[in-house]
Amino acid sequence: MSEASLTWPDGNDRVPYWIYTDQGNYERELEKIFYGPVWNYVGLECEIPNAGDFKRTQIGDQSIIVVRDQDGGVNALVNRCAHRGVKICEQDKGSFAEIMCPYHQWTYDLKGDLLGVPFNRGVKGKGGMPEDFSMAENGLDKLKVHVRNGGIFATMSDETPSFEEYMGQPILGYYDREFDGRTLKLLGHSRQRIGANWKLMLENIKDTHHASLLHVFFVTFGLFRVDNDSTVEMDDTGLHTALSSIRGKQELNDGTAQMRSFDSDLKLSDPNLLDVVREFPGDRTVVMQTIWPNVILQQQSNTLATRQIVPKGPNACELHWTFFGYEDDDEEMTARRLRQANLMGPSGLVSIDDGQILERTQEGILAHPDAEGVVELGGRDTDDTDHMVTEVALRAFYKGYRNVMGL
Amino acid sequence: MTISPERRSEVTDLINAYALAIDDGELERWPGFFAADCVYKIVSKENFDSGLPLALLLCDSQGMLADRMEAFSKLNVFGPRSWRHMLGAVHATGSEDEISARTNFVIFETLAGKDTHILCAGEYRDVIVSEKDALKFRERLCVYDTTMIPNSIVRPI
Repeated sequence: MSEASLTWPDGNDRVPYWIYTDQGNYERELEKIFYGPVWNYVGLECEIPNAGDFKRTQIGDQSIIVVRDQDGGVNALVNRCAHRGVKICEQDKGSFAEIMCPYHQWTYDLKGDLLGVPFNRGVKGKGGMPEDFSMAENGLDKLKVHVRNGGIFATMSDETPSFEEYMGQPILGYYDREFDGRTLKLLGHSRQRIGANWKLMLENIKDTHHASLLHVFFVTFGLFRVDNDSTVEMDDTGLHTALSSIRGKQELNDGTAQMRSFDSDLKLSDPNLLDVVREFPGDRTVVMQTIWPNVILQQQSNTLATRQIVPKGPNACELHWTFFGYEDDDEEMTARRLRQANLMGPSGLVSIDDGQILERTQEGILAHPDAEGVVELGGRDTDDTDHMVTEVALRAFYKGYRNVMGL
Repeated sequence: MTISPERRSEVTDLINAYALAIDDGELERWPGFFAADCVYKIVSKENFDSGLPLALLLCDSQGMLADRMEAFSKLNVFGPRSWRHMLGAVHATGSEDEISARTNFVIFETLAGKDTHILCAGEYRDVIVSEKDALKFRERLCVYDTTMIPNSIVRPI
């Protein structure tokens, strides 16, 4: 790979490819973004309902334990023993009474405070820790945690604004629409590794018009299509985006006529898949949010999920999907959500296309760090729109990204 | 309850024929391996062990199998590839008319111009019944161990 110039071209309507491929830029992203003043999504409360329940997750390259303590609080702890650096927790999820490192059995409580060190006072009067060894200063590294209506977020920085300020409007309003205070019910996880830069995954959701061209399934059944009544809204930084839309009909019009992938004759043999019921206030049938820096919040018809993006170097990322419903869903609604989950995930009727195309994007740009992508659809500005025939959310995103990265 | 050697042999034939049909790319034959009343699911071991209901892919009718087959064959966008199912020995229990079978699998995937990789490893947990003198899957649960699916699963497994 040739050495990239690492400078940004004029304006936000061109995106240089080195930001997706350069190792040095990736390392700066870890420091400035994931370990910086952001709220990283780390999970849902319904994954750890009881005291002692934990899940393992990741922020940037760091392994994190998210655990509920005996007081009902949620803690996010760096998965690294304070003694010799051992990755304490290997399980993806489970339950523990306390956290013990298997190497020398340093033991921590569920808030990450050090409880005990074997041979602390020596054996037969010999050895042991120095008298001034501080248990208080040798706990696990703790992150600041914010829980809102079932969603868990964590930050490593003291500079991070409050969650509400960080989200801003109208994003927080859309968040509260899906996370409306009802207890969430966990339906399950899917996980996939995609050979594409993590930002391409966020862009995929911010790029509203690709769905009308790439995804035959969406296009044909009108679930998400440029001729639908839609809005694209950003927060002040441009980093978060909310797309909302109202499902269209399977009809030929001036929008669908331009889509080669539109098929007016396609019929489902079992229409149960799209047996959608309205469940949220208002007339929006889909709201997709990208919350900076690492999560996509999905409400497409009745399928709800969080998609956590875990970067894996510049050239790959993992997507951890958590599908959920609400505690008050009846059996029929749960069955509906599970059936509609066929649209999404690593074998999703729609998502398969995205996983494939993002990897091809990475392969296409890998040898061309100094070339640029074009994001001019809908003009060159970064203002909210009332349609989706636009790449405005990408321009706003890169305006925000340049601010954060100092580019 | 016992299963005759002939029946055991038919069960193994069914499981082998299914894998060959998919590896040969004959997806139009896929729904035909299932009974009129059927369930096909691909489920992660993570969800299966935790009792979580989410499937990676769920078809609970012949119609849904047909729709999936159509999507995989014509609608989804993905590059050319070869698949090879490697099957373990079939462990069959039950009766002559309703057989429960467990079979380990590994699927090797080869994408054009790339190295062969393991797509997923796991086991089939089948319920097989006799319908119009032929054995069919009434349930085919594919429980996969693989933590991270390499990109996507673009065919039935």
